[in-house]
Amino acid sequence: MNILTLLIFIPILFGIVIAVMPSSWRAGFKYITLLATLVQLGMSIFIYCNFKTGAAFGGINHEAQFQFMQKLPWINLDLGPAGRMQIDYFVGIDGLSIALLVMTSFVLVIAALASWEIKSNLKGYFILFLILDMAVTGVFCSLDFFLFYIFYELMLLPLYFLIGMWGGARREFAAIKFFLYTLFGSVFMLLIMVGLYLSVKDPATGNHTFNMIQMMNPANFQQGSVFGILSHQTIFGFSARGVGFLVLFVAFAIKVPVVPLHTWLPDAHVEAPTPVSIILAGILLKVGGYGIIRVCIGIFPEVAAAHAFWLGLLGVVSIIYGALNALAQKDLKRMIAYSSVSHMGFVLLGVASLTAEGLSGAVMQMVSHGFLSTMLFFLAGVIYNRVHDRGINHFRGLASIMPRYTAYVTIAFFASLGLPGFSAFIGEAFSLVGAFKSNSVNGELPYWMAACASLGILLGASYFLWTLQRMFFGKVNLKGGAVWQTALVDLNLRERIALFPLTLMVLALGLMPSLVFGKINDSVLAFVHFLQLK
Amino acid sequence: MEHFLQSIDALTIKFTLIAVLLPLLAFVINTALPAKWSKVAGWVSTVFILISCVLAAFIFSKVWNGHQVHQQMLWFTIGDTPVYAGILLNNLSVLLLLLVNLIALPVHLYSTAYMRHDEKYSRYFAYLSFFCFSMLALAVSDNLVLFYIFWELVGFSSYLLIGFWFTRDKAVFANKKAFIMNRIGDIGLLSAILVLFSMYHTFDLDTLFGQINLVGHSNIQNGLWHLSSNSVPNDSGAIVITGGSIQIPAIWQYIAFAGIFLAVAAKSAQFPLHTWLPDAMEGPTSVSALIHAATMVAAGVLLLGRVYPLFNDAELTFLAIIGCFTAFMAATIALTQNDLKRLLAYSTISQLGYMVMAMGIGAYASSLFHLVTHAFFKCLLFLVAGIVIHQMGHIRDDNNLEIDPQNIQNMGGLRKKLPLTFIAALIGGVALVGLPFTSGFLSKDGILVQAFEWSAGKNVFFKIIPILALLTTWLTAFYVARLIVKVFFGELRVLQFKPDLKLHMSDGTWQYKLPLVLLSVCCFFPFFSTNPFSQDASWVYNGLLGILNETGFAMVLPVVINIGSLLIIYFAYTIYTGKRTNPFAQTGVIFNLSFNQWYFDSIYQNAIVKPILNTSLVTFWFDRRVIDGFILLFAKMSVALSKLAAWMDRNIVDGFLNLLVKAVRIIGNFARRFQGGKVQYYLFSMLAVILAIFILKTFF
Repeated sequence: MNILTLLIFIPILFGIVIAVMPSSWRAGFKYITLLATLVQLGMSIFIYCNFKTGAAFGGINHEAQFQFMQKLPWINLDLGPAGRMQIDYFVGIDGLSIALLVMTSFVLVIAALASWEIKSNLKGYFILFLILDMAVTGVFCSLDFFLFYIFYELMLLPLYFLIGMWGGARREFAAIKFFLYTLFGSVFMLLIMVGLYLSVKDPATGNHTFNMIQMMNPANFQQGSVFGILSHQTIFGFSARGVGFLVLFVAFAIKVPVVPLHTWLPDAHVEAPTPVSIILAGILLKVGGYGIIRVCIGIFPEVAAAHAFWLGLLGVVSIIYGALNALAQKDLKRMIAYSSVSHMGFVLLGVASLTAEGLSGAVMQMVSHGFLSTMLFFLAGVIYNRVHDRGINHFRGLASIMPRYTAYVTIAFFASLGLPGFSAFIGEAFSLVGAFKSNSVNGELPYWMAACASLGILLGASYFLWTLQRMFFGKVNLKGGAVWQTALVDLNLRERIALFPLTLMVLALGLMPSLVFGKINDSVLAFVHFLQLK
Repeated sequence: MEHFLQSIDALTIKFTLIAVLLPLLAFVINTALPAKWSKVAGWVSTVFILISCVLAAFIFSKVWNGHQVHQQMLWFTIGDTPVYAGILLNNLSVLLLLLVNLIALPVHLYSTAYMRHDEKYSRYFAYLSFFCFSMLALAVSDNLVLFYIFWELVGFSSYLLIGFWFTRDKAVFANKKAFIMNRIGDIGLLSAILVLFSMYHTFDLDTLFGQINLVGHSNIQNGLWHLSSNSVPNDSGAIVITGGSIQIPAIWQYIAFAGIFLAVAAKSAQFPLHTWLPDAMEGPTSVSALIHAATMVAAGVLLLGRVYPLFNDAELTFLAIIGCFTAFMAATIALTQNDLKRLLAYSTISQLGYMVMAMGIGAYASSLFHLVTHAFFKCLLFLVAGIVIHQMGHIRDDNNLEIDPQNIQNMGGLRKKLPLTFIAALIGGVALVGLPFTSGFLSKDGILVQAFEWSAGKNVFFKIIPILALLTTWLTAFYVARLIVKVFFGELRVLQFKPDLKLHMSDGTWQYKLPLVLLSVCCFFPFFSTNPFSQDASWVYNGLLGILNETGFAMVLPVVINIGSLLIIYFAYTIYTGKRTNPFAQTGVIFNLSFNQWYFDSIYQNAIVKPILNTSLVTFWFDRRVIDGFILLFAKMSVALSKLAAWMDRNIVDGFLNLLVKAVRIIGNFARRFQGGKVQYYLFSMLAVILAIFILKTFF
């Protein structure tokens, strides 16, 4: 049994267990879910430890260099003269996915721990949670576009119900907005996927294929096909490959989210229950970033190189715009949501630089933001669970009544604003290094972009420190008065168990970035090399 | 022999590592300490810093004026770029290493008494140790990435300590302001690092500015910043560029400078980023002594020292102007401040201005020399201030008064109550003014002499700089005299409106006295030089390769300066002891300008902070109304469209069907009538049909 396959489908096994258990055992569901995520974490750590590095394991556009691969024919129809329809169950990982995969497993454990707050309809909740778990894990492992798309779409369904049924006051609105918004991006992706399928032929079998790695090789495109590099086809008067890139980019940019496609995010976060916020911010946004690197740029490298300026610009706009919006927020969760927009902007900027530093920085930033946003949303959930309020101005002097909580918030805030020693610093700094270096290496981005983006770091400090000052310091003054004061007890054991490892992780990645860079470097170099090939 | 030397170096590196990491260990221990043992924290930190200090002295003795020791290991690789972590020990590093330890040790000792009754005693020492760790590591970092990391950690520990009493709103505002101001500088430094890295592809300080000195071998030609490989010495062993040359537009050299300048201005509180330092005085006074007077604020000057080869003439002149202006501006503000710590803070800003100016006029060694001497006497003055404030606080608490214990208008006559503190204040004050036989004389007059020499060959406008600097010295003499007279001479002014006060004041325990004595000793010339009148004879100065030309200035100027200072001190003494009426009006534009600190805070608040906050509100409005509004409009349009479609479906598509049905029904009803079951009707209709066929047949 392939370990990746096992990793992807283990949650379903546990989900079936929950499904057949009587509802009277509902108190045990959360433990089963936690066990599932822990088993996954153990497996992904095993994968991480056994992940081989070296130039021979770069991956990217060399199928043989992927690791933990499994390839099974899945849908294999004989279409007569049109050849065979070839859809494979094809999973495997390289450096681009390994770090995100481990981060995903880790975040899911925390999300499972955060699910203790769910009180109603537990069976449905945990089954949906485990389906979501399978889908997000699958996305990072799929190498067949069809399979990727299925996992990608499969994420939406449980999320829709998780937000719509267990969310806050305006949950239905938020859920439908989230669902339609992201679906909007992905339906068009389907068209491009089919177009690519019809353009690419597997050189070994001569069939059309959904294999993403073969889509990266220009030689596999048929002559005169829609997306063939040499065929110069047009769609509505635009270059077909340009349109293909744009559509895929929009689909993933909605997930990231990139300004101006981000407005689903604050609503979804504010209404979602804590564990769903954690999965949304910690994992789902990374699917967008991962998709941009692997799918958009991987399949359309020359379009990406030609329009990197615009990608970088969108990154810079997201950084500054997100930060300014975060500064204006009065709701803690919304503030964190906008800060996510700002931080994910660094990912786009780093990717757009198309340099090794920028790409590594972007991956690091994604991993780091996965942990940090998990921590931030978990912390926001702590206070919401106690008094059902998140207004920044409704609290004052929390440091005096919840010292331990304040300590974690301080760590999370400072780590997020890029204090050296924590992972976000490495991610942001090297995204900027890449963006800045880009001009002299490949001329993709002008120098000023990095300079402007660094303003985001300043604004980041402003909104985080301002929030700290308003909510946590000063004399105790709560909107809810004495009732709140008794309700606001310091962190309990479960919360500390969730927060402590997260702190350790962001610290470890900040002090030893080689934990990530060591594993991804060969792939990043292979990717940069691949980009220069075309 | 070679081997022996290497093993000595390895030992030095090991000791450096220990000296740097000990405070970190203290931080970890104190953080983890259970509450009931919190009193141990002070001694943990103090003992660790003592060991660190001893090690630093050893390292200093090995490296000072010896050869540079540099060791690094691979930290991580990103792309093709290896990033190293390492230790660079040269004269500048070990001087700072020793200085920070020497200042930190008495401050730790002092803190064990000063913070004794604070409920977060262990937290305090944890933070203090963390600061020491960051600062020591900053001093010995061998590359720009590490330097940046510790640079920011220094700012972070300062944030923690300024806001140590976090229930006070002022403290929390102050630490936020300090951190954000410092962040501006951090971004400057980061930008400079980006520029340097993209130009030279290395972060290594030694390669960039040290022995290989890539930066020093670059020049600006035809609008390009240029480094050709053959201009780099080959014997250094570690050639970074292979063949060809590197060039980027010259503007980036200036941007790198601008970034460095911002960094320096933020950390060392230079105009225009100086306003955080006076506010930072909300922290415990012992913290102000260590961080905001002696060490952290010196980091900016250290940075200037590190990257000195980067600057060209125009940039150096810019530094000189800014430094000089800052020195003068801060001194004028210090003249009218009544808050003891704020006054000292402005004095610190002013002295830092001297250091930056000294860097600008090429007095590299003097600048760093002044950094060292200033650290001792300013730290001393702050410790004195701490004792005074503590005692005034006791008076307030014992008698339930509503006075500000930091306001010097309430003080007076303390020289009899606190004799040792008074002597220490006097020594510190005299050294700050720079009177002969003190360390301040050696360093400060050296700077002034060189400022005059620097301007000698230049345009008349350049004369403004040394003259302003000279004026600043005299202003310094005035405010120092005002401070000391107001605090220590005359009678305690609180007694004037409340004569029956209970007073029991003393210099305090040995933890207070010993630091004062130690630091006082270090304020005199023998600690630095064998000759009380010559900077040349100073080991610090020589170790940093300072060369002083013995020109006329060096002979005459110190005499003029000091006679002037003495006269001003006497003048101030007579005013503030009441022997002469105060000739200066306490009103008017100039007084208000000084008293309100040149209105910088309100200008920044109105010109920068508010617009940014307003912008953020506007972007949020834009986000909700325009971007999200568009999405909602889209959604609404879809709904409207679907309603239209539903209407069409019901009324047109379905309507057509309904119409059809109706038509069928009408026709059916019509046809049904022919099936009435009566024979006559059947015959009639048969006839009608036959007739119809016949007619059709006939005509068509």
